[in-house]
Amino acid sequence: MLHIANLHVSVADQTILDGLDLDVPSGEVHAIMGPNGSGKTTLSNVLSGRDGYHITGTVTFDGVDLLPLTPEDRASAGVFLAFQHPVEIPGVGNMYFLRTAVNSVRAHRGLPELGAGEFLGVAKEHMARLAMDPAFLSRSVNAGFSGGEKKRNEILQMSLLEPRLAILDETDSGLDIDALRVVAQGIERLRSPDRSMLIITHHTQLLDDVRPDRVHVLQGGRIVRSGGPELAHELEAAGYENLPSEVSV
Amino acid sequence: MNVALATSEIPTGRDELWRYTPVDEIRARIERSVNASHIGPVSVTRPLIDALTGTNRPRLVFVNGFHAADLSDLADLPAGVRCGISDPLHADDTDDADDPVVADVALVAIAEGVRLDAPIHVVHVAVPDPLTEHCVLSLPRTVIEVGEAAHLVVVETYCGLDGSMLPTLSNTSTTIRLGDRARLAHYRVQTESTTATHVGHTRIEQGADSVFQMTSVTLGGDIARNAVEVHLDAAGSRTELAGISMTSGSQRHDTVVTVDHAASQCSSSQRFAGVVDDHGRGSFNGEIIVRPGTTATDAHQSSRNIVLDANAEADARPWLRILADDVRCTHGATVGRLDDEALHYLRSRGIALPQARAMLIDAFVRDITDAIPHDSVRSHVAALVGAAAAAPIPVEPHR
Ligand SMILES: Nc1ncnc2c1ncn2[C@@H]1O[C@H](COP(=O)(O)OP(=O)(O)OP(=O)(O)O)[C@@H](O)[C@H]1O
Ligand SMILES: [Mg+2]
Repeated sequence: MLHIANLHVSVADQTILDGLDLDVPSGEVHAIMGPNGSGKTTLSNVLSGRDGYHITGTVTFDGVDLLPLTPEDRASAGVFLAFQHPVEIPGVGNMYFLRTAVNSVRAHRGLPELGAGEFLGVAKEHMARLAMDPAFLSRSVNAGFSGGEKKRNEILQMSLLEPRLAILDETDSGLDIDALRVVAQGIERLRSPDRSMLIITHHTQLLDDVRPDRVHVLQGGRIVRSGGPELAHELEAAGYENLPSEVSV
Repeated sequence: MNVALATSEIPTGRDELWRYTPVDEIRARIERSVNASHIGPVSVTRPLIDALTGTNRPRLVFVNGFHAADLSDLADLPAGVRCGISDPLHADDTDDADDPVVADVALVAIAEGVRLDAPIHVVHVAVPDPLTEHCVLSLPRTVIEVGEAAHLVVVETYCGLDGSMLPTLSNTSTTIRLGDRARLAHYRVQTESTTATHVGHTRIEQGADSVFQMTSVTLGGDIARNAVEVHLDAAGSRTELAGISMTSGSQRHDTVVTVDHAASQCSSSQRFAGVVDDHGRGSFNGEIIVRPGTTATDAHQSSRNIVLDANAEADARPWLRILADDVRCTHGATVGRLDDEALHYLRSRGIALPQARAMLIDAFVRDITDAIPHDSVRSHVAALVGAAAAAPIPVEPHR
């Protein structure tokens, strides 16, 4: 589904990703771990279509070249990024934002637009599952949300938009125990044979709940090690510095 | 009623309050103009006015400064409210037929102690002359008198014919007087065509303990100036000014505000937001004067601006003349850009660039639209602003 080959990304002459290769087949959940500043967020930004990077290499999604596509076209094609730091947008109502997003993606998929009332029903249903107070709908997007509330709002968007590739950039950071479980359930609910996920995390808790198919280590701008779920615990015990630098993709 | 009209003289020399206005260009346009004539264009019909301003009643309609009784609707005005035309003072004081002539003066007056919650609409339509194609010059005049302890809401609309490519020039003047303890909510909505020149002037005189609230929305015009001058000459009065200006194409909008604290215990606030796009230019020139000998003055001013295009330009200039000691005064001016991260966030959810941009522009002025207490006016303004925010994104090369 997602195929990345020899990806180089730099910002103002600083190389951040340096020949990254990664394949996430359909239906699989992969995790990426790696030290601070190793380029995990840069990778997710590049996949979401954020501008400002100098990019070379190949990124295809279902065989389609992703790199020339605008962020909105990628979203319509089914790419979703749960941001590490969701942006606060005062003045844009969360409800209006969510409905506009859902209807934009629906239009692209040839589905009819959801009216305000219809959408409200759908949103409330999803929020109930995520134990989110419907009051969050009447606030501005992420404005004044606590760290954990912002992360839940990301998962809400993910479940409403039903992406085919979900990239979760440290969605588990800063969550309390209950929220972590809710997020894990949200991920599990979306798990399906025609959907892939890339979970970026520093912790093993979420991975214990979600059980990824593969775990990758991003270091020095490339994937330096890949393995099964047990690799996460190995990393936790040994740390990145003591990691044998064998490459096994 | 004897009314003294505020003037909107275009200065000949250097004048700080006209600093950002292209005075020479306006003069040249006036030179090229012909005076509006009483034989009003037949193209202006009731359904057209409804479409331009909404079907709100009561309303007083003027075409190129001339009262259009057939387009107005003044049924069911409560007792104590006068709405109509007043005799101009300046008419016929010259024999020179080329001098611009004040046509009819709109008058809205509410008697002492009377309170009216429903807005009264004063609509000025600028209509070009399709026969000569000359720029049509009109001098719309409005007078609003709020009696002691009376409450009133007035919506002044300056509009033109949508999509008209012919020029008009409106040199407008509104004079507002509030008696002691009177209260006026005043809206000024300018949506003239993008071939129009609009030179607007509003003068407010407030009685003791009166409250004046104004929201101006400037969207139209090629060159448009919105000057507001508040005189706080009696103790205890309060004035709250807010405004939105949005330009695109090669529009120029100037907002010029003077609040003159000449009495004690008065408070004033100014909250203005400017959006400039494409080759547009916007400026805010806000003056606060606090006269010597006054005490307990509260004066606040903020001007926020966003520049959406590298070719657009915004200027914000606070001008404080504080000549007393007992003053609390704050001011702030910002010129920024659209938040790239927010834009990316919206787009990453599938929202197309033009709509994502419109959402953020709308959000930028949202605190001002949301603060409009009158439902019908708020939704009307929100729709106008929303449509302006959703205007097509300029493409390079320009035109
Ligand atoms: N726009 C930029 N300009 C300059 N440097 C940048 C920019 N974006 C990222 N970097 C640098 O690139 C490196 C990778 O950053 P990135 O945010 O991708 O790391 P990360 O792996 O997500 O880290 P963390 O685990 O702390 O979230 C960092 O050193 C960062 O400072
Ligand atoms: Mg990161």
